[in-house]
Amino acid sequence: MKKIFTLLMICALLLVTGCGGDDNSSGDKKLSVMLSSNVVSLDTAQCTDSASFEVIGDCIDGLMQLDADGRAVPAIAESFDLSEDGKTYTFHLRDAKWANGDDVTADDFVFAWRRHCQKAGEYSYIMGNTVACVKNADAVIKGADPTTLGVSAPDAKTFVVELDAPVSFFPSLMAFPTFYPINEKFYGTLSENSYGTSPETFLSNGAFALSSYIPGAANIQLKKNDNYWNATKVALDGFQYQVVSSSDNALTSFKNGTLNVVGIGGNQVEHVQKDAELSKNLKTFLSGYLYYLSFNQDPKNHHAGALANVNLRLAISNAIDRESLVNNYVMNGAKATYTAVPIEFAPNAKTGKFFAEDQKQFADVINFDVSKAQEFLTAAKSELGKDEFELNLIFSNEGDSTSKIVQALKSQLESNLPGVKINLQPMPKAEYLSNVTSNNYDLALVDWTPDYNDPMTFLTLWTTSGCEIAEHWSNADYDKIIEDCTTGSLAEDYDARWEALYDAEKILLDNAVIAPLYTDANSVLISPNVKGIEFHSVGIDRVYKNAKLK
Amino acid sequence: MTKYITKRIFMSALTLFIIIFVLFVLIRIMPGDPFSVERMSAEMILQKREELGLNKPILVQFVDYLSLLASGSFGNGTSLYNGAPIKPILTTCLMNSFKIGVLSILFGTAVGLTIGIVAALNRGKFLDGLCTLVSILGVCIPSYVFMIFLQYTFAYKIPFFPYFFDPSKFLTSAVMPAMSLSLFAISTIARFTRNEMLEVLNSDYVKLAEAKGLYGFELIRKHVLRNALIPIVTVIAPLVVDLLTGAMVIEKIYGINGVGKLMVDAIAGQGVDYNYVLALGIVFSALYIGAMLVLDILYGIIDPRIRLTAKEGF
Repeated sequence: MKKIFTLLMICALLLVTGCGGDDNSSGDKKLSVMLSSNVVSLDTAQCTDSASFEVIGDCIDGLMQLDADGRAVPAIAESFDLSEDGKTYTFHLRDAKWANGDDVTADDFVFAWRRHCQKAGEYSYIMGNTVACVKNADAVIKGADPTTLGVSAPDAKTFVVELDAPVSFFPSLMAFPTFYPINEKFYGTLSENSYGTSPETFLSNGAFALSSYIPGAANIQLKKNDNYWNATKVALDGFQYQVVSSSDNALTSFKNGTLNVVGIGGNQVEHVQKDAELSKNLKTFLSGYLYYLSFNQDPKNHHAGALANVNLRLAISNAIDRESLVNNYVMNGAKATYTAVPIEFAPNAKTGKFFAEDQKQFADVINFDVSKAQEFLTAAKSELGKDEFELNLIFSNEGDSTSKIVQALKSQLESNLPGVKINLQPMPKAEYLSNVTSNNYDLALVDWTPDYNDPMTFLTLWTTSGCEIAEHWSNADYDKIIEDCTTGSLAEDYDARWEALYDAEKILLDNAVIAPLYTDANSVLISPNVKGIEFHSVGIDRVYKNAKLK
Repeated sequence: MTKYITKRIFMSALTLFIIIFVLFVLIRIMPGDPFSVERMSAEMILQKREELGLNKPILVQFVDYLSLLASGSFGNGTSLYNGAPIKPILTTCLMNSFKIGVLSILFGTAVGLTIGIVAALNRGKFLDGLCTLVSILGVCIPSYVFMIFLQYTFAYKIPFFPYFFDPSKFLTSAVMPAMSLSLFAISTIARFTRNEMLEVLNSDYVKLAEAKGLYGFELIRKHVLRNALIPIVTVIAPLVVDLLTGAMVIEKIYGINGVGKLMVDAIAGQGVDYNYVLALGIVFSALYIGAMLVLDILYGIIDPRIRLTAKEGF
């Protein structure tokens, strides 16, 4: 009996220790970075989140990349030519290799783009006629023959893309992971659905390669890819990501030196700013995420009678003190926003001026003005024949400060608009998304992430056939402007298109289709010995290939 | 005996079937959907749902699921969230939770038994009170609270252990979660051991042994502990499964790629991943039912009275 027990104990210990002994061979000088959420997938046809985009961006180079200032510069494509009608791009690829030594060829791009459309994932829309306008992309997404997609590889180093309409920001789109290549030969050796699920099933052509990863991993390890075309410029030998969902935990791990780069929330920003030493490491910048109140105007909704009324929507929009909201509740450097496109986003290619630089341009319909809001409310009451409005505000209960923000909104709306009652309804993200996409709400707190560096990434949301968070608002003039600016007459005229987008935004805000609240900010703590991390508000949030650890 | 075992196996299979059915229906009717996504058109979502058979009546979906399960696949075998195959990821995560679970069982059993024995041998004295206090605290303090305490004290204030789980430093990383997970096991085993020991110490055969001149460590080891341990195994068996199937909050806080974290992500991610939630539910239930089945059969072998009672009652 004693022998059996001893044997069992030894087996158990061997099992535990044998499956992973301590290994400190990686050395102590390792860059460790926080991710605030799991990486959903490293398959560009499946991923939908910024964490996945970031890790993919570390490992794979597309045709173009964004430089530190957000400009599109060559990556795998050494150069490109654009046809006179602006509808054909010819990319000339440089001599680049995959991590296994294979050449990166134009066929790898053709394969990946066709596969992406065939898989019809959440981000396949970006290939279609609302964004990149790749010829026949919409048809292939719906099931047409993938060989009809407007891409071809006349030779191994030439990749040609045909578009249905000129797209002024097409080169910068090429830095987005959806347009990245996949090594067709390598992919063919994998079992079904296994691509991108482990270091063995994922092939890099970028600055780093995976050394440890499983889907949903809390810890991801990357190592430098020696076969990278620009490997001499990569200073890091590798780094690791740690998923940390609580920003309190993130701050503590930064303080004790476990992590070199962490994102913190509003509460922690206040704490850090009070600490002279710690605050030197704080970097705050606008993220391009727009937070807004969505008004459900669906006639089938039980409160639609009220929210379909433009005066009630204008009353709500003008009763919100956005400055107080960002300074007292969000507190992470976010900026109050009075436009449907966020601040410091989408610069004009000719003037360099951000699209939403003038925050006062729609001040007649969106401002913090209680007396004006009450005038709108009085008009709404008389038009609707009602004195009281009870509205449900749904929001996802994730995030450290969301509940404080919605409490503040409720308090502002109820005190500034007599007769309006707001019921707060927190819910898990999956339930929240299910409700907003099925129109089961009155008011919803929505945050929208830009996918590309153009105002259209926001303005297409409110077309009749736009995003699934549909306010059930439809306007023929608005739809016409958006169509003209994507595939229509204005697509080729940069200045006229830019002006028309302002016209579209005016229609949107005159009708108070949404109530923009604020442009969110990222507050990041970076160890003083880490330099050169590039932050972007579009596509890949953080780029490490030029980072240095001293 | 064969009839008894057959009956137990049949009952276990039936229980598992009922659990799968209830789980399947609950997941389908709970709020949230795998395709509650913002960037996909209603048409595309419909296409995806049709591909996966999610538009069929629930009972038809259930029958389809059972036939796939019989062929060894959890649904279509992939995550609805990221398209990755379930089995290899589930196996990796199970192994991670299992390794930490084994450590916590070893630690919990050793400490729990020691505390229980010390308390019983010092009945009514200071040490008994102290051990009782420790075992009560073990039940009262949730393991994740203890984990946060350990993390703050021994990884932040005194940086002795890694602040997050690091797979390349398994042993040092596993200490804090294993200790936190073993807290409940320690208190349960300690309380049980103390009670059983006291009962055995007061029994006639121990008094007889004492009268015959046996005393001290020999008496405890040969007569008291051996008899007291048998009922304690009953408590340890379900604890083993509990510890092996991971701890959701601890794995999430400490960043362990275990089944607990996998479950939380599958439910509370952007969309509810039906296939993962079901797969994990089935694996957890099968482990519990399996452990109970083994225990039932062992009881039947050890104590014929249980077998006979079952024959009469069932």
